[in-house]
Amino acid sequence: MFKAIKRILLLSGGAAVMATGMAQQAQAQKQDQITVAITEGITGNNPYADSVVLIGSIWCQVYGCLTTWDFKAGKFVPFLAESLEPEDDLNWILTLRSDWKRHNGDPIVAADVIHSIERSRNDPESMSQASVQYIASAEALDERRLRIKTTQKMATLPNYLATMQITSKKIYDQYGAKAADREHPVGAGPYKLVEVGIGSHIVIERVDGHPMVEPTNPKRIIYRMMVEPEQRVTALANGEVQIAQGIPPQLVSRVQQLPNATAEMVDSAEAMFIAMSPKTAPWDNPKVRQAVCHAINREGIARAILGNQVTLLNGPVGDGQLGFDPDYTSPMNYDPEKAKTLLEEAGAVGAAVDLYTPVGRYTADRQITEAIVPMLEQVGFKATLQTPEWATLWTNVQRGETPFYYMGRGNMLDPSPALAQYFETDASPRLKYSSAEVDALLQAERQEFDPAKRVAMLSKAMAAITEDAPACFLWLHKLAWGVAKGVDYKPSKADRVNGWEIHLR
Amino acid sequence: MLGYTLRRVAGTVPVLFMVSLLIFALVQLAPGDPVDMLVSDEATEEVRLAIRSAWGLDQPIYVQYLTFVKNAVMGDFGQSFRYREPVMDLILERLPASLELAIYSTLVAVAIGLPLGVWAASRPNSLVDTLGSIGGFFGISLPNFWLGILLILLFAGTFNLLPSGGRETWGLNVERVTGFLTIDAIIAGRWDALWDALRHLTLPVIVLGTNMTGIIMQITRASVLENLQEDYVMTARAKGMSGRVVLWRHAFRNALIAVITIIGLEFGTLISGAIIVETVFAWPGIGYLLLQGISFRDFPLITGLVLVYTTLFVLINLAIDMIYTVVDPRIRLG
Repeated sequence: MFKAIKRILLLSGGAAVMATGMAQQAQAQKQDQITVAITEGITGNNPYADSVVLIGSIWCQVYGCLTTWDFKAGKFVPFLAESLEPEDDLNWILTLRSDWKRHNGDPIVAADVIHSIERSRNDPESMSQASVQYIASAEALDERRLRIKTTQKMATLPNYLATMQITSKKIYDQYGAKAADREHPVGAGPYKLVEVGIGSHIVIERVDGHPMVEPTNPKRIIYRMMVEPEQRVTALANGEVQIAQGIPPQLVSRVQQLPNATAEMVDSAEAMFIAMSPKTAPWDNPKVRQAVCHAINREGIARAILGNQVTLLNGPVGDGQLGFDPDYTSPMNYDPEKAKTLLEEAGAVGAAVDLYTPVGRYTADRQITEAIVPMLEQVGFKATLQTPEWATLWTNVQRGETPFYYMGRGNMLDPSPALAQYFETDASPRLKYSSAEVDALLQAERQEFDPAKRVAMLSKAMAAITEDAPACFLWLHKLAWGVAKGVDYKPSKADRVNGWEIHLR
Repeated sequence: MLGYTLRRVAGTVPVLFMVSLLIFALVQLAPGDPVDMLVSDEATEEVRLAIRSAWGLDQPIYVQYLTFVKNAVMGDFGQSFRYREPVMDLILERLPASLELAIYSTLVAVAIGLPLGVWAASRPNSLVDTLGSIGGFFGISLPNFWLGILLILLFAGTFNLLPSGGRETWGLNVERVTGFLTIDAIIAGRWDALWDALRHLTLPVIVLGTNMTGIIMQITRASVLENLQEDYVMTARAKGMSGRVVLWRHAFRNALIAVITIIGLEFGTLISGAIIVETVFAWPGIGYLLLQGISFRDFPLITGLVLVYTTLFVLINLAIDMIYTVVDPRIRLG
């Protein structure tokens, strides 16, 4: 018996040593590549078939997108485009860069852009129609220049072009959509596609000689889907991955204590808010809405639940986002006495309200709303928390059938589309808010080509929204990314991991 | 036997029809819209309507169902809304991963649970029996997700012996023949890939196998114990047969019917019920695919997967029936 146990232990020990040795060997062999643990799956080879920001950004690394957000300038700037300038109210002239070639040496031509607009709009698999919804037409002026006509005066066109990948018309015509995407994904970006594992991983490889890349950028990047945060952290700890997305607050300290990695924090560009549809009582009364905002102790929630890993908002956007006004302070501070008074003035004391929240979609969403419910009850609401499954809640929100909910809105570096979506009359059913002042400001800012004037209008619109309170703006979560030592990477608000922003030491 | 098999296979047709009707009705009645889940946040109502029309969601439900049945008869479950691939292709691509996991888990569970159960039954109320029963009870009771995360933390984290998830290390490039990575690696003579596949299999197999081991151990124990108290066992003992022969050749063999039934049912459950384990270990099988399908209201994917699960269950039950005749020649099928 004891002999058998001894033999088993010896064998196990041998296997462990062998396994460790092989694991270390595997790591040593992979010094020029990194693995990034991500939380979203890849839907397939068609770059237009995915509406997830992070996945779209990987396709932009492969194919190239026309514009990108410049964090220093705080605006969208040309990227695969050399320039993008308004010609008149409706027309823009786009000039393509000449120093970016496709991976097979072909130049990027105006016909590719027109083709990509068409694919975004009409490809049967496309989920990217929104990026071209304001484009009326596009015509080539020469090989590298084209005129884009918008359906209305649109200062925000560069915003929409940042998520449109420019695929090759020539290859599409030669092979057809499926074969072009799967067998000939010849982009113009700094990385080329190596492999797509539907729902599991995507592998890209550095294009040496591309103007965007340096020798210190990883030669190969494997984006691996890992849903479980514990798994992402463990994989970071044992060297399976070098960058891990979405480290939840409760695991940040563990990452910080790892000998081989650290946690990098960055404000997200996703505003978290409580929405109240004014088309439904009691939210039709602004005083009731304002009472909600004054009832919520954001500082307390941030401290007790979120470990202060948030930046409190004074409106829909924070520092680094377009329209942010550092001098503006929201009047919707935590003031339960004022909330009680407002509720009494509105004659809504004891109003029964259902607060809807997703569960597991956003950081500590359930715990946050569980804390908000007693705060609402303290000032006179009769509040109940509802926690439907995400698909149910999201559909109901988009159809305007949920009057009171906790939600986040991402992709708000330039908040113009998001503000219109939620707060402009009839722009979408999800809030059914209507204000002549806000409508006028939002429509005007979209049409204002002067950046300074546009920012001023945006700020004014956001202040008006904040004070009328169709939504209480709460915070931007600080997103934690796990980054292995030996990897230079500073995550950005944009929630994307670009190879050229990663350097291996 | 052949006639029986053909009748059983034919009998699956109405089962599949009823299941398809039920699952189609359920996914349609469930709240949530696949278009809202998949389209860009900023898509206009016109865009959403166009996609709904392209996917046939603007048709009456009975038209959608009849179209589905017509295509399903030809083996075409339609195209996944999310992955934009034929559902059958997605399932066939991932089924080997789930089957491989389920088979290895079952083998481990049988290899441990069966002898432990017999051992415990042969020494009722002994220390071995008590410890075995407690162990079996724990095996049955431990939640998969908890055990999975614990093992990841321990063996992938603390000891750094095994990978935290996935099915293989990227870049090994073993040619796919069967879809079972361990077998394909052996066929290709790639021992590094075999070692890699086994390392990736270890933790999810332990998690799935633990629960099944507990069940098999308990059922075997109870069944063997019951048989040991039968008259024929006493007769065998009276005839002077050794305890080992009585236990293994008589009591165990007669207890096998119940044990095989449980193993078969559990194997089916492992294939269809490994959703949590596949999620925790990022295992690219059909369980995780189903979870994604449900999350995104991918109707064709959900329906196709449930039909495949149903078919697998029917086939497993058929296989169990056939094994009965081998174990107990008195059983005649037909």
